[in-house]
Amino acid sequence: MNKIRATLVFFVVMSIGSACIFFSSCTEKSMNEMIIFTRSSGKPKYLDYDTTDSWRYIPQAQIVELDPNNPAGSLKVLSTNYYSARSPQISFDGKYLLFAGQQKQNDPWQIWEMNLRDLKTRQIIASKENCTDPVYLPGGRLVFSKFASNDTLKAGHSLFTCNLDGSNLKRITFNPHTYFASSILSDGRVLTVGKQIFPEKGDPMFIILRPDGTKADMFYKGTKDTFITSPGLETNNGRIVFIESDKVFRGKDNLISISYNRPLHSRVNLTSDIGGDFHAVCPLHSGRLMVSYRKSESDRYSLYEFDPDNKALGKVLYNNAEYDVLEAVETGKHDRPKKLPSEVDLGVKTGLLLCQDINVSDMQSSGSTASIPKSSRIEIVGIDSTLGSVEVEEDGSFYLKVLADKPFQIQTVDKDGHILQGPSAWIWLRPNERRGCVGCHQNPEMVPVNRIPLSVKKSPVIIPMHINNVIEKKVSLE
Amino acid sequence: MKTSGILSVLLFFSVLGLIVYFPGRKWARVHVNAKTAVDDHPLNCLSCHLYTQKSGFISKLINRKYLSPFNMAVSKEGDRLYVIAQDDNSLLVVDTEKKKVLKKISVGNLPHTVILSNDGQRAYVSNEWSDDVSVIDLNTIRVVDTLKTGNGPAGLSLSADNKSLYVVNSYSSNISVLDLNTGEERKRFDTGNNPTGTQLSPDGKTLYVTSRRALIAPYGETLESEITVLDETSQKITKRRNIESAYMMENVAFTPTGDLAIMTMIRPKNLVPSIQVEQGWMMTYGIVVIEQKENGRVIQLLLDEPNAYYSDPFDIVITPDGKKAFVSHSGVNTISVVNIDSVRSLIAESSPELLNSYSDNLGISSRYVIKRIKTGADPKGLALSSDGKLLYVAEQLEDRIAVINTESLETVGAIDLGGPNKITVARQGRRLFNNSGHTFQNQFDCYTCHPDMHEDGLVYNMASKDMGRNLTNTQSLRDIGDTPPYKWNGKNQTVYKQDGMRFSTVLTRTEQFNYNDLDAITAYIITGIPYPPNLQYNPNGELTESQLRGKALFDRAKDNLGNDIPENNRCITCHPPPYYTNLKMAYVKTLALSDDSMLFDTPHLNNIYASPPYLHDGRAATLEEIWTKYGKEDKHGRVNDMTKNQLNDLIDYLKSLRAPAYEHIVSKKFHAKN
Repeated sequence: MNKIRATLVFFVVMSIGSACIFFSSCTEKSMNEMIIFTRSSGKPKYLDYDTTDSWRYIPQAQIVELDPNNPAGSLKVLSTNYYSARSPQISFDGKYLLFAGQQKQNDPWQIWEMNLRDLKTRQIIASKENCTDPVYLPGGRLVFSKFASNDTLKAGHSLFTCNLDGSNLKRITFNPHTYFASSILSDGRVLTVGKQIFPEKGDPMFIILRPDGTKADMFYKGTKDTFITSPGLETNNGRIVFIESDKVFRGKDNLISISYNRPLHSRVNLTSDIGGDFHAVCPLHSGRLMVSYRKSESDRYSLYEFDPDNKALGKVLYNNAEYDVLEAVETGKHDRPKKLPSEVDLGVKTGLLLCQDINVSDMQSSGSTASIPKSSRIEIVGIDSTLGSVEVEEDGSFYLKVLADKPFQIQTVDKDGHILQGPSAWIWLRPNERRGCVGCHQNPEMVPVNRIPLSVKKSPVIIPMHINNVIEKKVSLE
Repeated sequence: MKTSGILSVLLFFSVLGLIVYFPGRKWARVHVNAKTAVDDHPLNCLSCHLYTQKSGFISKLINRKYLSPFNMAVSKEGDRLYVIAQDDNSLLVVDTEKKKVLKKISVGNLPHTVILSNDGQRAYVSNEWSDDVSVIDLNTIRVVDTLKTGNGPAGLSLSADNKSLYVVNSYSSNISVLDLNTGEERKRFDTGNNPTGTQLSPDGKTLYVTSRRALIAPYGETLESEITVLDETSQKITKRRNIESAYMMENVAFTPTGDLAIMTMIRPKNLVPSIQVEQGWMMTYGIVVIEQKENGRVIQLLLDEPNAYYSDPFDIVITPDGKKAFVSHSGVNTISVVNIDSVRSLIAESSPELLNSYSDNLGISSRYVIKRIKTGADPKGLALSSDGKLLYVAEQLEDRIAVINTESLETVGAIDLGGPNKITVARQGRRLFNNSGHTFQNQFDCYTCHPDMHEDGLVYNMASKDMGRNLTNTQSLRDIGDTPPYKWNGKNQTVYKQDGMRFSTVLTRTEQFNYNDLDAITAYIITGIPYPPNLQYNPNGELTESQLRGKALFDRAKDNLGNDIPENNRCITCHPPPYYTNLKMAYVKTLALSDDSMLFDTPHLNNIYASPPYLHDGRAATLEEIWTKYGKEDKHGRVNDMTKNQLNDLIDYLKSLRAPAYEHIVSKKFHAKN
């Protein structure tokens, strides 16, 4: 009898336990895929990269949620506790929303995260400076832009990464460029819009880099008549879509698509045959796009579907005579990009740079017959001074050990010190980064020739050259 | 039993369970951490203790025998497809209409290629691991003859009159000319290193043989791989063309007009410090195009794109109208479709300098690659129907043939060859081994540097510390499960560590394997990579006189002068059978100035004849050079007392070393006989 009773008790306990587990899992209500977007009632101005006021830090912007299956239904304002909020980003599991926000009018913009089930928010970044454009990274981190003013950057926005609780904050860009509007590609790299601010102002271009700040390189630059005005977002068919503005004819911004595989030579204007003005784009899970668009300057930017295959606007998802739609995202799970390993070791003070042949240039690979002056020396130029002048090897190669996280440019000079080519774009190396380039101003589609550069048969030249030795941790990755 | 008794037993087992569980779990954590070199690998006993079983009941229970289709041939009528099932040692006869396997014909070991006679009456199958060709009567569907060849027969081609069979011997690096009337080998010519592909020109006059491994050369010299050209009429070698900076030229095809010969190739960057993957700093892939005219040019064109690599090109076929070439990329499960007219235009309009620059230009492929077609796992051999309308793709690790319409360039069907449905852990590991999805932008995979799970004969500058230092000779992965530690410096005590985080940080530079994948690739490497038989130097276990003398020298304890050789300087001490390694670190005074100070993991020596160059940095081109050039101080064994003949004997013996598995076969035969 006791055995039967014990068995019964056992089964009852097990059944109750199982039921509890089962029903507790059902308390998570299923979520339809919603559209979350930023809207602003103020009159939009043309984008100004330098002040960013009309682009990133927009007063009284709201983040709102729309049910695409019921667009006529009421919107839910998600940022009710914020004076202004924008730049919504959905976590890979679809459960959280990252955004930049200002609680009060004169507060600095900070980074926040919202739980989409209960709409509770928590502050991730608490800085005295403005922060914006947060993007989730794999491994529980995020990347965002933060204003800084210092010797190397001058005054602009650098990219930073941190954990989702705000800890382990790391700066990852170190050149005098201002960076905004980042996204993460499926290969795990950060695609961001960078614009040189020193010594001259440059055009904004897409810069690609690993989340640890290594291997930063130009990914795409607009045509000579256009400049980028939005993040580049990867679609599920290997394209990057974004908005480009005409330098002269303002008010006719276009939706552009480039191929991930060959970004510099695959530009397609998806809206050249459509009048009006595009402001933002977001790829949808369906493969279609969602765009912010207005027919004329007197209209507000409204939210539309867009068919990239037929280059045609689709149905209107949201329009309101009182508001412009600034940017939009779709909720729901999405594929997590790859989590890239890092070679950065903060115990090391330098990085290594190898150039295979300074006399390889873009002109050679394009078949140009123009004479290319050969040079045998390079000059490494820092923000405020020349860091050294280095004789290159007979094969045109050089091998440098450069203080990490310090920006520099390289220019080739002749034996009399006259500049032949350059200066190059600003470069920085992260601690323990090893980086290579094929040549100076080389065609980015060229790969290195398979030969041993003479320069690596010797020790690297330390830059700046007035330093004879760098005492640092020895790292052997193997 | 009373209730109190039951409770006492339950209590006893509960306490016992707790005592075993907590310390046991702690011990398991320490054990797994030590094996994997990470502290978060799941405590899954099956990972090591089940999936890596190489033999016995458990191994048989959890593993499956797959077919692994490799190369193919289609009948002229298009109704039959003949498929090499490499892991099954068979040729499958497939009805292309019904998409069914009609018959399986057992052939030799590790069949490689099948070709059909012009009259469609005979099929010839090369058997790479039994040094012969199976001749199959296609009317009776049975093997009617077996022809002896050189070592490692791979590519096959028939003479225009179908009276001679050309057999490319991949291991002995030569080509045999077999007389099909007598079945005898009439001639044999040296070729490039490790040849496999061969094709007769459409006019029947010229035979091309491509090679996979580069010619042995000192590190730093330009890499070159040979294409051997044979005049079919005179059956003489007429040209040896060295293709610069390329290797792994697996297969070749001619355009129907015969104006171009096109072959697959890899352009490695082994001389460039391995500091990044971005911008093609590790590997690039493409085709070699050779104009078939007087002073015809050799042009190398990449099939990659600036941010996308198409690794491990294997086979190439050209449609009968000469418009399209199809290239299989086994590393990315893709077929590239090349517009041949666009290639011709590009060649015609470009200056020699510009043509030369295309070999390193990732963007140029947009001029001639018109489509990428996805396939199943590990596409290898390709075959076109005689009307050119259908392309068959051997998906080696799917046991399946994909069927592609060559007009629409869409996959229109698949032929299931009837392999096991279950994908075992080791099979999944083999898929990972052959797939570039785990390197940044798919730039390379394990197979790229370890073709045939062996090694590619190249020395790489892995740039582990500073650039230009610590050159690394690629090591074979064959049967390495029992020979830890790994790497020349022995830093990785297990395959788990070798392929873990370190691997992704310094080599693949993308997300590391997840632990299921790591379990799978480890299971494959430990259980699934056998040595080929050593048919060239030790076909049956009976050593030659020279090899026996060499064995005595290998085992000796006294030198020629009668002096004792210190135990740690005898060959046999550090290289004991069955793997000919004592699994310990050693000092043999071969460090270069560019090496960090280190001891070397004693390498295993089975099939060592097939692994040139030698020493950790590949400085010894031959086994002999290990001692004649780099062993003058007798630190790598006592050898300087030897005569030249003795050294020859020693090397003969070393070349005879073969895997323990084959010694067991001999042993079993011996016991059965006696």
